[in-house]
Amino acid sequence: MTDNILKLENVSYSYPDGTLALQSCSLAIQRNIRTVVLGANGAGKTTLFLHLNGILRPNTGRVCQNNIPLDYSRNGMRALRSRIGLVFQNPDNQLFSASVREDISFGPMNLGLGESIVRDRVENALLTVGMIESADKPVHNLSYGQKKRVCIAGVLAMEPEIIILDEPMAGLDSVMQEELTATLEKLHTAGMTIIIATHDLDFAYGWAEDVIVLKNGHLLANGTPDEVLLQNDVKVTLGATPLVAELTRQLCLIGIDLRDKGYLPRSKSEMLKAITAHTGRERTP
Amino acid sequence: MLTEQSAYSNRWRHVSPVAKGCFSLCGIIAAFAAGSPCTALLIASILASVTVFGAGVPITRYMRVAAPALIFLLASGLSLFLSFSLGASISTISPHIAFSELRGITHTCCRSLTCLTALLFLALTTPLSDIISLLRLCRLPETLLDLMTLCYRTLFVLSEAVHETMTAQTARLGYASFSISLRSLGGLFANLIVQVWQRSLALHLAAQARGNDGSLRFLRNNYNHSCRNISIAATTGCLMIALTIILP
Repeated sequence: MTDNILKLENVSYSYPDGTLALQSCSLAIQRNIRTVVLGANGAGKTTLFLHLNGILRPNTGRVCQNNIPLDYSRNGMRALRSRIGLVFQNPDNQLFSASVREDISFGPMNLGLGESIVRDRVENALLTVGMIESADKPVHNLSYGQKKRVCIAGVLAMEPEIIILDEPMAGLDSVMQEELTATLEKLHTAGMTIIIATHDLDFAYGWAEDVIVLKNGHLLANGTPDEVLLQNDVKVTLGATPLVAELTRQLCLIGIDLRDKGYLPRSKSEMLKAITAHTGRERTP
Repeated sequence: MLTEQSAYSNRWRHVSPVAKGCFSLCGIIAAFAAGSPCTALLIASILASVTVFGAGVPITRYMRVAAPALIFLLASGLSLFLSFSLGASISTISPHIAFSELRGITHTCCRSLTCLTALLFLALTTPLSDIISLLRLCRLPETLLDLMTLCYRTLFVLSEAVHETMTAQTARLGYASFSISLRSLGGLFANLIVQVWQRSLALHLAAQARGNDGSLRFLRNNYNHSCRNISIAATTGCLMIALTIILP
């Protein structure tokens, strides 16, 4: 039986200008699972995240955490936001203070924690995202990637159960993407549920355990990357399939089966390993 | 941003802002207590020397930051010294030089110069975020401090946005002639207004997402040897005031 930490039941939401962002959207996020949300621009990913964090309230339907509908009272929201951290796409839109340490302390201070606890949490968050060296620099002198890490640290300092990241890889170079992936892996190993919106299908295929695809504000597909990302309608909606999946399929068609005990390679490194192993098997009589 | 560079890279960056604020305040009190222009100049030179040799602010940077204020002070002094009286018609403008007020004007200018060096000491050795936390300790209204925090942060975000927009406009010959430049500047201004509005909404959402429901609260920084440094600053500051009382 799946353990749903968050659930949307027939949620619809339209913005004041009339844009219908979510339409009878029902989906579930499982505990301690790496979830990726995919969809074209305007599919409703950010609106979905704003609902999960309680910033937006559905026009119809309901959002549940641990199968209990969200409490939209002041105290309810404070409790919810201490458990669900949200990192926005543009770091310049969420950094309040010009000092790195001060900005990271913003969330925990809002939780009403004591100064020594906040101090410990800030230092831990800085260590987790690898920003301890830059903690005394002013925010405006940091690179884009470093600002993103400060944003993540600001949410981690609140010690949430779930962290939601809206397109965290956008604007990052390959090295920074690798570093961020390693940080996310560390958080997941520590037991955190991670939800990411991205347009990077290769990253989604390699990293996610559960994939949610949105189209025009409703759920198009949900399941494992293998089940979802190779579906025809998903391919049409997203405009592509992951490169590794496509290559694996093509190689299979010409008789090179890279499956290892039924497991298909999900990333470039896994594929290279599978090809090496396959070549070795071919050579062994 | 010369002040910024200096505030983050001087030797006393990690000294408690309370100590630096205390020394700066003593400098301002000494400026008003100075009984003669020479005493005021002596205090000004002490404050400037402490900033340059003590905190290690390069003298060229110090002079560049001080230059606009010094020019303003010079112009103010001249306007006090020299005034024009208008007769019945424009052709009868007559200059009036206040020789009798010379001592008083010099004294005022020297005091202003001392106040300037005292404020420059604080501005060039202390990042604004530290100054804001110092003002918070002084119990300034929260709304004012929140505005200062947000303005300081968004200043850099918007200056980046201005730079990017102007680059994009220049790349499309947006400043090729005077009339086109005027139109482009109008476009830039309109674009910035929209950006300010969008960014304020985004900041509001981000504040909500991090559990904020009122004023902006941040952790106070810890400073090493804070008490010792405050004592030293207060003692030297008081000595400076005492010097102005002893000297004529």
